[in-house]
Amino acid sequence: MNAAFKPDETFRGDFSYQNSEQAIRRFPLPFPDDKYMYSVNIEPHLPGPQGSVTEFAIDIDEHYVAECRERALVLDAEPLRFQALPHMMSSQWDCLELIMESLSRDYPQHFSLTRHGNQWHWVNRPLQLTQRFTFGDPATLPQQPLEYITRQAPGDWVVMDQREGDLWTEAGMVTTQADWSLNFDLGMTFKEWHGPVPLAHEIGVFDRALRFLLNLRLGAPVRRLNWTMTIHPRLDTAPENYPFWGPDRAMVTAQNAGDLVHLRVELQGLWRLPRSNAVVFGIRCYLISLRELATIPKWARRVHRVLKNLHPALIDYKGLTRYREAAVQWLAPFDDGAPTSPGTAPD
Amino acid sequence: MSESQTIAVQVAAIEQVTPLIKHFTLAPLDGGNLPAFSGGSHIIVVMRGATRTFRNPYSLLSPPNRLEAYEIGVRRMEESRGGSHFLHDAVRVGTRLEIAHPVNLFPLDKIARKHVLIAGGIGITPFLAQLEDLHGGAVPYELHYSVRSPAHAAFLDRLRDREGERVRMYCDSAGEAIPFDALLSTQPLGTHVYVCGPEGLIRRVIDTAKASGWPGSHIHWEQFSVPPVGDAFDAFLAKSQRMVHVLPDQTLLEAIEAAGIDVPYLCRGGVCGFCHTRVTGLDGELIHNDHYLSDAEKSACKSIMPCVSRARGKSLVLDL
Amino acid sequence: MLITGIKSKPVYTPLSADIGGRYHLMLGMGVGAAPLLRVVAQMRTEAPSALANTRVLYVPPSGDAAQAHVAEFQNTGVAEVRTFGNAQALLAAFSALLTQALMGTRLYVAGPESFMGLGMKIALQFNLNKDEIRAEESGSLARRVHCVHCRAETEDVRTNVVQCVGCSRWLLVRDHYSRRLAAYMGVMADAEAPGELPPIQEVFA
Repeated sequence: MNAAFKPDETFRGDFSYQNSEQAIRRFPLPFPDDKYMYSVNIEPHLPGPQGSVTEFAIDIDEHYVAECRERALVLDAEPLRFQALPHMMSSQWDCLELIMESLSRDYPQHFSLTRHGNQWHWVNRPLQLTQRFTFGDPATLPQQPLEYITRQAPGDWVVMDQREGDLWTEAGMVTTQADWSLNFDLGMTFKEWHGPVPLAHEIGVFDRALRFLLNLRLGAPVRRLNWTMTIHPRLDTAPENYPFWGPDRAMVTAQNAGDLVHLRVELQGLWRLPRSNAVVFGIRCYLISLRELATIPKWARRVHRVLKNLHPALIDYKGLTRYREAAVQWLAPFDDGAPTSPGTAPD
Repeated sequence: MSESQTIAVQVAAIEQVTPLIKHFTLAPLDGGNLPAFSGGSHIIVVMRGATRTFRNPYSLLSPPNRLEAYEIGVRRMEESRGGSHFLHDAVRVGTRLEIAHPVNLFPLDKIARKHVLIAGGIGITPFLAQLEDLHGGAVPYELHYSVRSPAHAAFLDRLRDREGERVRMYCDSAGEAIPFDALLSTQPLGTHVYVCGPEGLIRRVIDTAKASGWPGSHIHWEQFSVPPVGDAFDAFLAKSQRMVHVLPDQTLLEAIEAAGIDVPYLCRGGVCGFCHTRVTGLDGELIHNDHYLSDAEKSACKSIMPCVSRARGKSLVLDL
Repeated sequence: MLITGIKSKPVYTPLSADIGGRYHLMLGMGVGAAPLLRVVAQMRTEAPSALANTRVLYVPPSGDAAQAHVAEFQNTGVAEVRTFGNAQALLAAFSALLTQALMGTRLYVAGPESFMGLGMKIALQFNLNKDEIRAEESGSLARRVHCVHCRAETEDVRTNVVQCVGCSRWLLVRDHYSRRLAAYMGVMADAEAPGELPPIQEVFA
């Protein structure tokens, strides 16, 4: 993406976050149809179309600098948003390598990585930082390796150790989550972590997803999309802070829904890690207001229909109960009943 | 997994380490680094012979942080479909091969409080890499290495130098045997045992551990099973509308691949489940050689693992 | 944020002897004696030699019932029965035992859920996993609740909504359970509509 960084946009307080026209058009709409239900919608994480959010392994867009600043603010207030159990150190280094290699390969104008054996030199131009360190020696970095690099990588990162035929959530940087607590869930298995998700278990989604992920191979990452909604472009909707963002849900009206209600899409990438044999889950969060979304006629129609017909258990689980009606009403004028073209791309 | 996901390598060195075992060093063709890996991983080595292509799994024995080359140890197998013979006889320094990305179906358990490693013969190979991961760490470990005679003890010097008392060797020729009962009945809580080698050794360790009350989740094994040979048979691929003839020394998977049809695969050794294929017609019997399907699934005959299993009889129809 | 429908709630099954184990360690509290005695009786019938490798750690209930339960255990022929005045003392002894324990050990736990959670938390540190642990809930279903906002733990919670002992917020008690914390998740119940609480009911008696 070529749009300039907007370092001062905020995801709290005055919520100055906005999407440029380019950001809107490349937004990863998670609805291929006018109706939505869970599926194991995993596909190979191969390069997508030029300019799209999937063109590169890790996507850097106009919000990058502001997102990193927001993460730093969250961590200042709540250090426990980053945790790693002691046996996960090799996976931390694996993640650092993955992220540094991806960013320096795909965005050479922004990032450089030079290596002489274990002596690495990393340059992050947008954040104006440079770091020399010894790969494998935590004492040569200002924070633990996973914390260090994820402070410079958009989205949440969760590392799962693979053993006993299961995946265990045992390290993570989680500051842009849709309402789950790393501190509470740390140590849970894949299905326990996803325990609260209704319906999906009954239709076998997590059984098949787990089986698939246990066989995830080096060099063959996968991705999928997940979604929910947020009031204001707020990245940090952790349960810890629910007392502060929960009340926003009751402020939505049919008049202000266009500006307050945001579609929140997670582009999830899953990689097998080399030295630790663990699996890392990158959860990149994209936000778009209904008003921005409605500038694309096909999307306005589709999102109206998806929301209107959403299964009640999903409405409740995704936290939409209080404002879904208002959002549907706000979108209604954009839906003339015309058919929508297949796929998610704008017409 | 498709052919395009392989890494091109060149044989950089070959060493005969015992009368039956050769040690190969493989370096990437384009220079640069190979992917890092975790101890216990193996690679599939693709060997293009004159008349057929072999795809055999070999454990990586090199240190996992050695990225400029991989090392494998290959035992010349008596009853073989030819892969090990090909490597021993036809491959030279400079020969080009392709390898798949490392896969680990035999990892160390990261929260174990102790690791007991048991190797028989060529089974030492995955442990060499794992010992590098364990060395200098806080978790205690020991290796018990059983060989037929000192001449057949591959890599012993390397082991002794690095691990000293943590390695105990047992020679069949001297009448030495691993004291399985004593070993497995005196381990502290949180110990994991790992065994690699001939089927008999694996069986013995599993049975003894279970008799001592170990739960299955603390017992790990990797087996070097050469896919069994058998009679030739035919398989009809319903979706592709192709009839495939499987030769006696060829696996069903290899025959399907030779016909140009891709089947997902991973371990090629009957344990991971990746090549799971539906059987939609059978007049005869299936010969299940895998460790993946349940007994019920095997007798239902609706599934087969083509990397190791075969069929016999009048016809077999697969959903491919 | 409903209570129902969450699949990460622990599921307990009636205890039975795991004859595949070589050493058997039993932790019991109060009426948890009953399932453990049942297991011991099963061993006596099916594998009497296992009794010599079975040890019991027990917190008897207060009152007259206590002596009866302790006597029952002592009559079973197990290698050792130790009683404790409270859960903390039992768990300290349990932890010390595990440092000497060998592979082949099986753990049986029966009692109120919060007692069992603490026992299993210790077992986790010794890499005892689900194949080696059997647990049956008996006695109080009262929960330990972890407040996700202030991280305080509120003990002995029997209602669906409880006031946090740390931050005083009213918390909805969810079924989402953490083995690491040995507690259920509590989330603010009236964040979106202050003061609007669901009817408070005794659910975990």
